[in-house]
Amino acid sequence: MKELYFISSLPGWLIALVALATIALLLQQFLSLKQRLSLAQSWFLVLLRAVVYGVLIFFLLGPSLIDKRAGKLRRPLTVLIDSSESMAFPASAKAAAGSSAGKSRLDAVREKLTGGKEPLIQRLSRDYDLRLFRFGTDLEPIDATSVPQLKAQAQGTRLLELVQSVAKDAGAQSAILLFSDGIANGDRKTLEGAPSLPVPVFAVGAGEAEGFTDVRIAEVRAPQFAFRGREFKLDLTVHAAGLKGKTVPLYFNRGKNLITTRSVSIDADPFEQKIALSFTPKEIGTHSFSLAIPPQAGEQITRNNQKEFKVDVQRDKIRILTLSGSPAWNYRFLRMAMKQDPLIELVSFVFLRTPTDSVDVPDNQLSLIPFPIDDIFLEELKNFDLVFLDDFSHRAYFNPVYLDRVRDFVRDGGGLAMFGGVRSFDSGGYGESALKEVLPVELDGKGGYQSSGNIRPVLTASGKAHPITRLLPDPRINEEAWTKMPTLNGLNRVRGARGEVLLTADGAAAGAPLLAIGRFGKGRTLAFMSDDAWRWNFIAAGNRESPHNHLKLIRQMVRWLAQEPSFEQVQLRAIANARPGEKIAIKLRVLKDDFLPTSQASVQLRVIGPEGEPSLVSVSADTEGGEYTGEYTPAREGTYRVEAEASLAGKPLGKDRTSFSVAYGYGETDDGLPRADLLKQLAATSQGEFFSLSDWNEKSLEKIAARIESHAPAQITEQRQTRLWSTLWPFSLLLALLSVEWWMRRKWGLI
Amino acid sequence: MNRRNFIRVLSQSLLAAGLLPRRAAAAQFSEKRHIQFVFAQIKYRGGDWNPHPLSVTPLMEELMLRTSIEPATARHEATLTDRDLFNYPFLYIAGKYEFDPFTQEEIETLRRFLSFGGFLLIDDALGQQGYGFDKAMRREMQKVFPGNEFKRLPASHAALKSYYLLRRIGGVRIANPNLEAITLGNATPVIYCQNDLGGAWERDRLGNWISACTPGGEPQRRDAFHLGINLILYAMTENYKEDLIHVPFIRRRLTR
Repeated sequence: MKELYFISSLPGWLIALVALATIALLLQQFLSLKQRLSLAQSWFLVLLRAVVYGVLIFFLLGPSLIDKRAGKLRRPLTVLIDSSESMAFPASAKAAAGSSAGKSRLDAVREKLTGGKEPLIQRLSRDYDLRLFRFGTDLEPIDATSVPQLKAQAQGTRLLELVQSVAKDAGAQSAILLFSDGIANGDRKTLEGAPSLPVPVFAVGAGEAEGFTDVRIAEVRAPQFAFRGREFKLDLTVHAAGLKGKTVPLYFNRGKNLITTRSVSIDADPFEQKIALSFTPKEIGTHSFSLAIPPQAGEQITRNNQKEFKVDVQRDKIRILTLSGSPAWNYRFLRMAMKQDPLIELVSFVFLRTPTDSVDVPDNQLSLIPFPIDDIFLEELKNFDLVFLDDFSHRAYFNPVYLDRVRDFVRDGGGLAMFGGVRSFDSGGYGESALKEVLPVELDGKGGYQSSGNIRPVLTASGKAHPITRLLPDPRINEEAWTKMPTLNGLNRVRGARGEVLLTADGAAAGAPLLAIGRFGKGRTLAFMSDDAWRWNFIAAGNRESPHNHLKLIRQMVRWLAQEPSFEQVQLRAIANARPGEKIAIKLRVLKDDFLPTSQASVQLRVIGPEGEPSLVSVSADTEGGEYTGEYTPAREGTYRVEAEASLAGKPLGKDRTSFSVAYGYGETDDGLPRADLLKQLAATSQGEFFSLSDWNEKSLEKIAARIESHAPAQITEQRQTRLWSTLWPFSLLLALLSVEWWMRRKWGLI
Repeated sequence: MNRRNFIRVLSQSLLAAGLLPRRAAAAQFSEKRHIQFVFAQIKYRGGDWNPHPLSVTPLMEELMLRTSIEPATARHEATLTDRDLFNYPFLYIAGKYEFDPFTQEEIETLRRFLSFGGFLLIDDALGQQGYGFDKAMRREMQKVFPGNEFKRLPASHAALKSYYLLRRIGGVRIANPNLEAITLGNATPVIYCQNDLGGAWERDRLGNWISACTPGGEPQRRDAFHLGINLILYAMTENYKEDLIHVPFIRRRLTR
């Protein structure tokens, strides 16, 4: 429809003045024509001229035709569909109960979007410039046809971050329609401090909080490391909803073994209770623990009833049992070295008297205590890491069965050291004992204790590289330090060595093994064929040399025997926790028997998954000596064990084990309670509106349309302006009128 | 029964029967023995470093008889300048009279000796506080450990329960019913007795006691031997008897 408008920029009074002047001019023309023509002819010509003048004055008013047309814009609308794992939880308590109507939250959303004669998704596509996304930890555009195939499998919900990002990109005219259960577990979990959203968010809440039934273990705070024999504490929180009045058991397990049970009385709804538990690990290694509450009737989510965690149990101290045959300077300085080492916890027994020594006072005036032989060898041995037999003969005190225990102790991973003296090795009758096969030296019953002076230690090739005898980092200075060690006076002769010899004797006993090491089963053994090592301490001090060489030697013996990680020939590096699908590098270091790195080792690397499924991982040697790397991609969450084993030319070098955890960091399925409160807050702060999915109907869409309209109306009016003077017909009219007038004037003889 | 035990049992039987002097018994043991302990006595300038020349052997015999230690029956005489001084981690110094001051080298050697694990038993044969040997010894020890004075050894100290549970300090006379000591950290490397222990240990070549112990008589002498054995065991086992495993046993016996 076109309407006439006058849009002249000339003032009205000027146009009126021109009109008056024109009337005056016409009057003057009429009087002039009346003298020469008839009255009718005069009127005719003046009228023609008046029409011309009238048209000109009309154009002075700026006449324009404006054509107004009303139209509607297709406004952009972003639809976000939450496809995180929590959307697979039951939509309602009824759904959880397993009724035929049972469906997940995402099922309910899909039904709303794609169900009915004219699916909502189609209507939205028709009415809006629709941009459709599924989201979880990230945002992915989808088309409307893929909505029915949407799966709830995203491992987290970065709800607030993604809505913020979408709102920023959408533009001022748009709006967001959000389908979610409101669970937000990204970096931002609340709206506090969040920038305001530039577009309205219409949040449609999936899942019903009312009737939500769940009990879950949340916020387990357990140490990653603990010390053997020392209690560690853990704190956890039990959350429950819809279970008021019930009492549920909480099981604390190590592996599959129950440690303790607690009863949790749920006396509120919602319910929250902090619980403290403790455990004293007795074995070193990585232990898996779990906390579990059995599934409850009507519970919607049962996978959050259990939490697993690992604790790496380490020894806080290396526990050493020393048995010394008599008070001696070797014991005195061995004790001093061990007592000065904060890593060592020493329990020692010194046999102050033999059964044949007489005493002149009643027993109660002696400080001698009975040697708790049964307790030590039948009960407590497993609690020690190392046993030192220091010039100690078993014959006077031991039933041979106790030496069998010591042999088994070593085979199972313990360490055994035997120091020389008149009661050691063959002199102590060990050649006929169960320890004969354990010790790293060959005993034939013929070897004896030789008390001759000036025995100087000589480093063997292995001894030059081995960490026990490496007293100083520089090999040359280390060798020099050994040449300066004070001489020893006593030596136990043995037939030979079965393990590695690190030191031999010089002088009269040249070449005789002085320090030998070996392995037996999982354990390690050491034989030091002298009772005079104390001289390397005290006499060195007297010679103004360092007594620390002796202290260091003892400490390094202890650490090697106790299989301290830094003394292992196969060392797996720590592996950082990863996420499923993330490729991880497993690195390890391999050392030869002489403790020099080797790239020639045959390395077997196995990863054992959470269900116990083993995978062999191929390993390649790095350019750096002794370093190897294997790559592994864990498929799912859980604890993975790594076992590495290396050998060189068929000879085993050692093993190592470690573990790592694979988990998503979001805790998506920890708390399944729908967060309608967060969605409401999101809608309110963005000038949008919240709808419950179960309450969604035709009016909801109309309400949304109305809110969008009020925010930015979609109805627009288009105007087209036509200025009359810029068209041909007014000019033609004027020309026609003036032509008629000219022709009449000519006919009537005025021209 | 091995040879050593056979000889020991035989000797004890003969001793009990009074048929064998103790010294002879010790000589029997010394054959082919592996010596674990040597009693080293310091010789010094001035005064009298050797108030009881025959005191050590009886103590060593007693040590051998009562404990599992195999000692040398004869003492080793040493000076603080001996090159092999550190071969003998247990040192004994005795005397009656004031002696010449130690040289700076001797003081430094003694300080090093005691700081790195050695032990020194000081025995005042005169028993007069502030006079003679006592005066000189305290003077010299002040030079060795300046500012670290002798302090009374508590009754609970490991040295008093390293073998015997000692309640009394023996000697020829009870000049001081307590021991004094210098402590470095957890160790007590210097113990000082003013009761003339050597006099109580000393026996003539016929096996007779040279000095009478007053006022306690033979029990007081026995206490002196017990203390000597305890101090040797303390030097060789440090504070072993303070290990947790011993504590309940010892406490039980002490409270009976």
